[in-house]
Amino acid sequence: MILEGSIRLPFSYAAGVVGSRFLVALRDEQVILGGRCSDCGTVSCPARSMCPECGTHVDDLVEVGPGGTVEAWTEMPGKPAFGLIRLDGADTALIHHLLSGEGKWQPNTRVTARFAPERVGDINDIEGFEEERGAS
Amino acid sequence: MNRQQSTDGVSVLGGAETAIALPDPRSIAEMALNVVERALEDAELRWSDIDAVVTASVDLFDGLTASSIAVTEVVGAVMKPETRIAADGLAAAIQAVHQIAAGAYDTVLVVAHGKASMAHHWNLTSWAMDPIFLQPLGVDFLTVAGLQADLIAGSDSSIIRRWAELAAHRKRTARGGIGESFTIDEVLESPVIAAPIRVGMCAPLGDGACAVVLGAGGGETTGGRAVIAGTGHDLDSHHPGDRDLTEWAGLRRACLRAYDMAGITDPAVAFAVAEPSCLFPHEEALFIDAAGVGEQTVLSPDGGLFAGTAPAISGLGRLLRATKAVKGNSGHRALAHGTWGPAGQGQAVAVVEAR
Ligand SMILES: [Zn+2]
Repeated sequence: MILEGSIRLPFSYAAGVVGSRFLVALRDEQVILGGRCSDCGTVSCPARSMCPECGTHVDDLVEVGPGGTVEAWTEMPGKPAFGLIRLDGADTALIHHLLSGEGKWQPNTRVTARFAPERVGDINDIEGFEEERGAS
Repeated sequence: MNRQQSTDGVSVLGGAETAIALPDPRSIAEMALNVVERALEDAELRWSDIDAVVTASVDLFDGLTASSIAVTEVVGAVMKPETRIAADGLAAAIQAVHQIAAGAYDTVLVVAHGKASMAHHWNLTSWAMDPIFLQPLGVDFLTVAGLQADLIAGSDSSIIRRWAELAAHRKRTARGGIGESFTIDEVLESPVIAAPIRVGMCAPLGDGACAVVLGAGGGETTGGRAVIAGTGHDLDSHHPGDRDLTEWAGLRRACLRAYDMAGITDPAVAFAVAEPSCLFPHEEALFIDAAGVGEQTVLSPDGGLFAGTAPAISGLGRLLRATKAVKGNSGHRALAHGTWGPAGQGQAVAVVEAR
């Protein structure tokens, strides 16, 4: 016998001190923040409390993007396309949605962030990234 | 004692795994019981000979928390020291090796179990992603595998056909197991699951359990000893964008630790067989590069994971196969590999050496 069940439970996740500053900047200023490491200089995005390169505590936040380049793309049935996006000024890549176009995105395509009209302090306050206007 | 001597005496005494099925109608506990009984028989040991138990499972994939509680009795861990690892089964075996090498126990049973039939596995993996920045976007392990494959492919359109060839070849070599066999063209025409990855390029997932008995010494067991001469594991950054996804740097570090322990200076000529845990063809190139294995090393002689695999068991199953591959051929070495998390975040390797 196989018993059917499902797990559905509301949950509250703390975004953290630095993560919250990142989300508030998306919501209130339509600005994407990276965290600059005082030790190794790596600018990581999204900004988090610890440098992913060396583990140093990060509290220096800098504006990155909103433009960047697509490093990789994927498409899955029933989901919007995903991109691995290197934002201008950041040393790490961000995974987010790619909005315009269909099929494979060529590496190094220039994109820019499109913000949601209604923002709540969530990674989805960026609707996704679209091809930069005027880019060839 | 130097590091090379410290694991000199840990042997694989026996083991067993279930045939991968989709679904396996047995409960998790029954599947674990089956492999434990057979592994003890294979090792010619009894329950009372086991000093401690290490289990590997992932709560999320089992649909309950502390999923080791479901198997505590059947692995004989009641009233015994039990350690539980929420990662691939090879990481559990490495924990057992360390316990024995430290002199804590003589004989340790390692059990891994996972049932992909319990839920949509890839959807489930979304809940193993960062809940603030990744999970709300719908990112799961398959998304990250697709991004990694596309990054590696770059503008090289011929690579997709080579991956299809490799997937078809592995599946053909597997002879049996679960999942359909594909021709190269059928792989290329199979549905996209995370572009450029198609269904035919993904090793089939099912239900399985695996048990291995590890022990100090190993006596004069039939067919010679299979010694775990080196182990290494590594955990890379969780955020895939923090890593260079064109390589498995964590595996490279894990291998260096294992090779150092085993006294291997040239991995290109060190191994008769390598048993990587690769779900996709693009991962095989990452494995070869990071492990540094050469042309004379036979990779996945039984088709690797393309015969079918289950969450959490892959690496422990590879250890068993690596052991069988070298046992009886004194001096021969095999490399077993396990991985877990998105795009190879966690990596584990063990060097098995016949004595
Ligand atoms: Zn740093």
